[in-house]
Amino acid sequence: MRVRAADFPALAAEAGRALAAIELPGPIPAAAGPERQIVLRAADLGALLVDWLNELIYLAETERWVATAFTPRPAAEHELRVSARGVRVDPAPSRVKAATHHGLVVRRVAGGLEAEVVLDV
Amino acid sequence: MTRSELTGGLPVTRGRWWYDVPVDARAGMRVPARVYADASLWEQISRDRSMDQLLNVATLPGVAERVYAMPDVHEGYGFPVGGVAAMDARSGVISPGGVGYDINCGVRLLATDLPLARAGDRIADVVHDLSRSIPSGAGRGGRLSLSPRELDRVLNEGCRFLVERGEATADDLEVTEAHGSLPRADAGAVSQRAKTRGRDQLGTIGSGNHFVEVQVVDDVSDVAAAAVYGLQRDQLVVLIHTGSRGLGHQVCTDYVRLMDQVMPKYGITLPDRELACAPLRSAEGQRYFGAMCAAANFAFANRQVITHRVREVFRRAFRDRGGVRVVYDVAHNMAKLERHGGRELCVHRKGATRAFGPGNPETPPRYRAAGQPVFIPGSMGTASWVLAGTDENLDLSFGSTCHGAGRAMSRHAAKKRQAGSEVRRDLEERGIVVRCGSVADLAEEAPYAYKDVERVVAVVHAAGLARKVARLRPIGVVKG
Repeated sequence: MRVRAADFPALAAEAGRALAAIELPGPIPAAAGPERQIVLRAADLGALLVDWLNELIYLAETERWVATAFTPRPAAEHELRVSARGVRVDPAPSRVKAATHHGLVVRRVAGGLEAEVVLDV
Repeated sequence: MTRSELTGGLPVTRGRWWYDVPVDARAGMRVPARVYADASLWEQISRDRSMDQLLNVATLPGVAERVYAMPDVHEGYGFPVGGVAAMDARSGVISPGGVGYDINCGVRLLATDLPLARAGDRIADVVHDLSRSIPSGAGRGGRLSLSPRELDRVLNEGCRFLVERGEATADDLEVTEAHGSLPRADAGAVSQRAKTRGRDQLGTIGSGNHFVEVQVVDDVSDVAAAAVYGLQRDQLVVLIHTGSRGLGHQVCTDYVRLMDQVMPKYGITLPDRELACAPLRSAEGQRYFGAMCAAANFAFANRQVITHRVREVFRRAFRDRGGVRVVYDVAHNMAKLERHGGRELCVHRKGATRAFGPGNPETPPRYRAAGQPVFIPGSMGTASWVLAGTDENLDLSFGSTCHGAGRAMSRHAAKKRQAGSEVRRDLEERGIVVRCGSVADLAEEAPYAYKDVERVVAVVHAAGLARKVARLRPIGVVKG
């Protein structure tokens, strides 16, 4: 997965949308139901991005809930706070089994940040 | 006879069936590296990053003697798939990435007493019933839903727990690696998240390259060893390939994260974060080892429950002639404590199979005349092989051999080359019955996406890693 955005919260939201596009066949349906608050902390932005994707993978597999819409909230350094909404699916769409640290990159580029994460499928 | 050459900037000494890279080939290497391959496989191996990854593994603290790549090696996450590395148990590390996400992914061979001629017209029905009885696909749950206490017993006891439930026999356990129950397992070291992912996945195949295949013994290379294993030409057999499902993935995710955090405490720096590790003797290392053994027990139990389902299917189809016997069950993603050369080592085998010879006490007594059975599945639709472990292999690769044909093409590239429906049609035109959750994903596992299994097995045999016994031809595939 390769994503770009202006800052880290936007990058996480973009990665979440990219994951939903992999998990759900066809066009992504409109989010429905209540918001879910997700708060994560890690040692650095790379680890935080991997944790974020693994959180979404876990929710998809165990709760059959795929997050599709994301609203980042103010957060401390190396912390991520996101309000997420999504869709319920059956069966669980866990085509993606894990986000890995393999070849993990989060780097500054013109206009913001770029990240590369290898997903185990 | 060997000769030295430079391959991709590396000084390589070429043997008849291997390629050696010296310890000074790259800064930070603590031991040399060896790749078992012929010239053609070496050329394929050189196209991806697996050599680079193998040399990274050679930098890990406490790595012993030499790191090895099997003939099916290909690029993985951190460690190459098809890699073997042994760490000193006192001074070395343990790495979740060296075991892989699918802890104790492995292969189990079941033998029936049916010759193909007596079962041929029922194969389509049998494959259909197998696909209905054994759920497949990532995240898919099975018919068993375990209480928290029952799941903890599976994690701590593995297949022993299933004997009580009537889903395993003492005979099954005798021919399962470690009797399907690793004693150092610690359910308490497995996170609640991992348990939640695994609670309804016992008895399920999963996705990717996992499968249940109905096969026929197509050719016997070693009649005596085949007889020891109870195999003969034209006999119907079933090959199961799956692992610890979401539970194992979560254990790996949890401990890669933990070890990534604690490495600075132990002064460990790595060329790739996915190699995250901790000293085996540290609290974190011991906790991972307990969790890994627990996930491995879950995987042994998973293949055992699938065996129980296969037995039900064959009994429905063939009544009293539908008996099914376990030939052997062997892991190919595991770290085990073993003694080699008088030292206790933690042998990491990722996409590599233990292959012990007749003289090894861990070879089941009934197989001591032949050696431990080894299974090398081919790609979907191509032959799989039964081999026998050799005693000499203890000195060749810590008693290890390869686990399959090995990918030669990424899943993405494979899907671009041919549609899943075409792959299915090709297989069916060759008389192979196919049942799968997603026809589109079938292309990911097409035969052209893998190396030539015949060539891989020829190298394994010639190098002395294991000895050819019998070839199996698929006639029905249930795909994850």
